[in-house]
Amino acid sequence: MDLNQSMRLLSSWIAQIGGLGLDLLWRFIHLVVSLWYIVSGIIEAVESYAISLGLNKKYSSINIEKLRCLAVVVDIEEARDVSKVIELLQWLRTIGVKQVGLFDSQGLLKKSKDMILGTVPGSVLSEEIGEKNSSPDQNPLALEFISSSDNKEAVMKAANILLQDYLKSSRPENDKGENFFTETHLNEALRVVGENVHAPDLLLVYGPIRSHLGFPAWRLRYTEIVHMGSLNYMRYGSLLKAIHKFTGVHQNYGT
Amino acid sequence: MNTQEEVGEFTQIFNALMSLMRKFIFKVLCAGPIPNHVSFIMDGNRRFAKKHNLTGLDAGHRAGFISVTYVLQYCKEIGIPYVTLYAFGVDNFKRQPEEVECVMDLMLEKVEYTINQAVSGNLKGVRVYFVGDLNSLNERLRVAAQRLMEVTEENKDLMVVVCVAYSTSHEIVHAVRESCVRKCDGTGDDPVVLQVSDVEECMYTSVVPDPDLVIRTGGGDRLSNFMTWQTSRSLLHSTATLWPELGLWHLVWAILKFQRMHDYLQKKKKLD
Repeated sequence: MDLNQSMRLLSSWIAQIGGLGLDLLWRFIHLVVSLWYIVSGIIEAVESYAISLGLNKKYSSINIEKLRCLAVVVDIEEARDVSKVIELLQWLRTIGVKQVGLFDSQGLLKKSKDMILGTVPGSVLSEEIGEKNSSPDQNPLALEFISSSDNKEAVMKAANILLQDYLKSSRPENDKGENFFTETHLNEALRVVGENVHAPDLLLVYGPIRSHLGFPAWRLRYTEIVHMGSLNYMRYGSLLKAIHKFTGVHQNYGT
Repeated sequence: MNTQEEVGEFTQIFNALMSLMRKFIFKVLCAGPIPNHVSFIMDGNRRFAKKHNLTGLDAGHRAGFISVTYVLQYCKEIGIPYVTLYAFGVDNFKRQPEEVECVMDLMLEKVEYTINQAVSGNLKGVRVYFVGDLNSLNERLRVAAQRLMEVTEENKDLMVVVCVAYSTSHEIVHAVRESCVRKCDGTGDDPVVLQVSDVEECMYTSVVPDPDLVIRTGGGDRLSNFMTWQTSRSLLHSTATLWPELGLWHLVWAILKFQRMHDYLQKKKKLD
């Protein structure tokens, strides 16, 4: 083996050892990060139990009127356990929330709609609110069931309605559609296809990460998005804390 | 050697050491998956100016621009191919007219400065792209933005998309309008029906893939009408740090969070 080949082999070994060293260091950093998450999770759990027991006076009263519409996003793996969702809804009702939109990307909660409405006392479909005698309860919990089909697909249905109107219209030759395609028109078309266009004030995400997971984009503009962790480990105190924090938020909506 | 020269030499050595340390940190970070596209919601400039008693309507935004240069440098060194910056939203036009004018003048100043840097060869592989309702900008800024896009067109290392006069609701309406008009102009007897792909092709941000990671500074927990269509599978990271105070470690922390959740995010994308 000549000198050049030896040098090349040596460089290759050094590069491999260097790569292995970097990889080990990377894994070590992630181990430290995971430990940090475990410790902060324990602190959060203790705080949450203290809040649930009423030990923290700050959370004893919440200005719930500020929260007109709450949305809950559930990761599809966790949405399979409907009993947890029902428990969450019962907590929300106890806190005084009046309107909840439940979202999971594949519509599993939509399929369990009847079970949820039958099990959560005082719950009604939000479309039925306002109909006479829709609920004997004085303070019904209005529920809306949302899935990915209410996101991009719904916008396409609305867009196709606008397109058909545009095609039927008598328009100048070089018309660019500015009078036909506006935010107001799209809003109206979404209502025609049966979509709720109201933006929730607060979105609670139950799942491994803080992501809206495909919640209707048209409704998410200034919604506060809070990650609550796994639905399997949900805590009443954390829920109270998230809602209390929301009531203290001041938004300027870009101005 | 006099004191000034000594200080200058010390500063050079210190900067060189910092640069070496930073490159080492990035090398370690790159042992794991790196986001393909990071978006930044740059909130907190005005609060920064108030916190530090800076005078001038654009003082906070000037500090914010310095932060932009550092963040882009870090992203380029890490090897992130796409970065989006939410510079000015459609709703921001509702601010006081003097403030809007000030921000527009500042943007023009910085765009012209960047053009000079690009022409001098100092931009080193950075391509700049402006997206949004650019027709609502004043002509000078619009022309300067166009020029900057042209002079950096050939750069391939990092694509920086600057969202100006942008909001998702505006983007969706614009994309629906554009795609409908295109469909109507098309020939043939096929029924005219819009698909998601037709609309997504016409979106302002169609030049970049969907973001993997969205970083919002300033403590807000909302997207503020930014890329809500494109962020179904994005990790949303929020930090209380104001934008001009965002540093290396904030970016490293966000990327570490992304790496922890990478497998889950990949699984979600495959389900799509």
